[in-house]
Amino acid sequence: MRAVSLAVVIAVILPLVLGQFWAYQLGLYALYAAAAVGVGLCWGQAGFLPLGQALFFGLAAYLSGFAFIAFQNQIFLALVALPFIALASGLLAYGIGAVVFGRTGESGAYFSMITLALSLLAFQIATSWNSVTGGFDGLKGIPGLPGLDDFSDVYYVSAAVLLVVLAFAGWLYMAPIGVLWRALAQNERRLQLFGFDTNQIKSVAFGVSGLMAGVGGAIYAPQQGIVTPQLVGFGLSADLVIWAAVGGRASLLGPVIGTLLVGSLSAQLRDSLPFWEVLMALFFITTVLVFPRGIAGLPEPLLLRFMKPRSSAAAIAAPDGIAKKLPAKLALHEITVRVGEVTILDRLSIEFDQGGIFCVIGPNGAGKTSMFNVVSGELAAAFGQIAIGSSDVLGLPSSGVSRLGVARKLQIPSVFPDLSIADNLAIALWGGRAGMLQLLNPRLRRWTSPMLKELQSRYPFLASGARTAAELSHGEQQILELAMALLTEPRVLLLDEPCAGLSPHETAAVMEIIRWAAQRLGGAIIIIEHDMSLVKELAEVVYVLHNGALLAKGNVAAIQANPDVRAVYVGSEK
Amino acid sequence: MDPLIVTQAINVVYAVSTLAVLSLGLAVIFGLLGVLNIAHGEFIMIGAYCAYTVESSGWPYLAAVPLTLAVCGILGVVVERVMIRPLYRRPFDTLVATWGLSLLLRKVAEAIFGPGFRSLAIPLPGTVRLLGTEYPIYRLLLIAVSLTVVTGLVVWFGRSRTGARIRAMVSNPELAQAQGISVRRLAAATFITGTCLGGLGGVMVAPLAPVQPFMGLDYVLRAFFVLIVGGLGSATGLLSGAVVVGGFDSVISAVSNTTNGYFAVLLLAIFFLWLRPRGIVARS
Repeated sequence: MRAVSLAVVIAVILPLVLGQFWAYQLGLYALYAAAAVGVGLCWGQAGFLPLGQALFFGLAAYLSGFAFIAFQNQIFLALVALPFIALASGLLAYGIGAVVFGRTGESGAYFSMITLALSLLAFQIATSWNSVTGGFDGLKGIPGLPGLDDFSDVYYVSAAVLLVVLAFAGWLYMAPIGVLWRALAQNERRLQLFGFDTNQIKSVAFGVSGLMAGVGGAIYAPQQGIVTPQLVGFGLSADLVIWAAVGGRASLLGPVIGTLLVGSLSAQLRDSLPFWEVLMALFFITTVLVFPRGIAGLPEPLLLRFMKPRSSAAAIAAPDGIAKKLPAKLALHEITVRVGEVTILDRLSIEFDQGGIFCVIGPNGAGKTSMFNVVSGELAAAFGQIAIGSSDVLGLPSSGVSRLGVARKLQIPSVFPDLSIADNLAIALWGGRAGMLQLLNPRLRRWTSPMLKELQSRYPFLASGARTAAELSHGEQQILELAMALLTEPRVLLLDEPCAGLSPHETAAVMEIIRWAAQRLGGAIIIIEHDMSLVKELAEVVYVLHNGALLAKGNVAAIQANPDVRAVYVGSEK
Repeated sequence: MDPLIVTQAINVVYAVSTLAVLSLGLAVIFGLLGVLNIAHGEFIMIGAYCAYTVESSGWPYLAAVPLTLAVCGILGVVVERVMIRPLYRRPFDTLVATWGLSLLLRKVAEAIFGPGFRSLAIPLPGTVRLLGTEYPIYRLLLIAVSLTVVTGLVVWFGRSRTGARIRAMVSNPELAQAQGISVRRLAAATFITGTCLGGLGGVMVAPLAPVQPFMGLDYVLRAFFVLIVGGLGSATGLLSGAVVVGGFDSVISAVSNTTNGYFAVLLLAIFFLWLRPRGIVARS
């Protein structure tokens, strides 16, 4: 709150100190800054880089120009249209995001190049569609906002708009959706396995950034009185990226600092210093490679304090997981997976139809991890059926499978390294419990559950909320990921070598949680394990896979006595 | 046959073959090193400005070839060493870094040559009679040179020892290193080959295109679309991508206008992203 009031005070005093000329400059650059905040949201939070962001700024500017010209005798109608114009930019961005992310998933280059191409296309259209846009010379004679007397008034409108955009962004960064954006940038797969539709979350981020650019553009037209094709083109798109990077893309205020400082300075020096823009490009490259936090990275602690929820706030009980009442049942029927010429799973039929601890063993290449991948929707089966409870899940994305009560722990610890332990655990609680709209509610960051409290009393490091997951040891990360999987209160828990790389002490701890969780959840816990001593201690039933099919099933003694299994393990083919 | 149709048909062949050669550098670096060099278009731009410098100094046009190779080669060495090498296997960071590089090269060109565009005289003016129509010699020459460069590189890559080493590096860098292949030097050489190919493409098209600091953006996007549509890592992918993108663009631009041609190519690229994200010829 202190940072916010400080920002407001600075914004009010600035034109009085700097005078009319700078008030005008800052009034213009505050609008660009609104768009730069959106670039920071996409790039610094969600981890994808929009290279054509001017498209949304310029589109809103043109639409707003049309509205002000059409309604110049009833200006209030144009004012009413402004929010819808900004929204139109946001919806276009969301639509583009939904189309592009819908298929490519995490691939960053494709998205960036397509946004760049769209911005170039918009520039061509704006230049060549003379009758509507006024062509290269631009759309002229746009009436101004009513009731503004001098440049300071113009400035105050822009500053107010920017503060609203900042407040909106600040709220989103503190809300669960902001945590998910940062998580997305670090480990998209893990987020999908917790039941989040990551393509949707990315599209929302891009839509919000388009909305912010739209807000800036909508005010730009009446403020400047002219809209030219440069406003949708690659030049402004590039500047927005530079300003966000130099100011500090990951922080809330960074893009604003970058735009106001570098942008308005460039406007002054571009003409007098011939190599100014070359210097800026060099500065940009250095910032990106060496100092990714930008200018805002210098007083980082202050900004961090602004972004964190107060830890003293009371915890709130999370609702029950949606999967709680589903039966603990997983059945694969004749599942066949081929990659190229190789058959990885060969008509695999296997069933886990009650609660308990089950171990899956088999030599390397038997198809154990592939079986997990096909269940969690990450690997496509050529044919066969998979049922979880009574639902047929083949073809569901991993987020959909997760919402049916399937949790998974990956072989190599997979957490969100740069997020705090508290945020890591909160994400697990939200998965399968929070709807899309609830993700806007910052109170969800205080969620807790009885399971979480029990886990924290067993493993005190889980309660040291502010540390990042990257600071934990390998063993602690394994336990953190296991705890996260348990917090979703799954009916079917898939564990891939949960004790790999752990010390004997840590192994004992993990085995203890697994036993405890089996009792506590009453679901099926399916473990891939190589270490026979662990299998002997844990497994109620052992399943042996070989060449992508089920070879044998039974209790430990029966499996050890089974001649087929012995043949496989000593290497002779029957 | 109608001479107009013949002209249009050769135009399509011209568009496809120059697109293939202009995409080659991007394809080499993206397909083999996994680095999307957004500054690829700026190397084309540098080649074009080298051609302009040679022409305005009164030297023979072919002198632009060694000049471009020198400029793009040296730049390639420096860029690979400073920017690319520390970032191998961090595709997102290389994306941002090469985007910054493209910005830098554009601004340097603008500071040296100014923002306006220059036009060059065509080194081989005149036309030849072909299938009942007059066609510019220089364009025919470009078709021939493009096809020679692309086939030459593909054959060399498939047959030579260096080609085999590069294939080894692409499929398993650690194992290649253990076999005594200097992966670091090979990767650097591959990157420099890519930048030089971009420059050569620029020399070739300079007389037919307006030479200006930001001419490269359009080329890199088209080249990228060729790779999306065709698929990475194979010559057939590159060629089929060039045929589809170049053909689509020139046909739609001919019947409508260039903005619609561009729009059609963009839609096509998005369409491919949805239906065949690995392109027509997916690498096995």
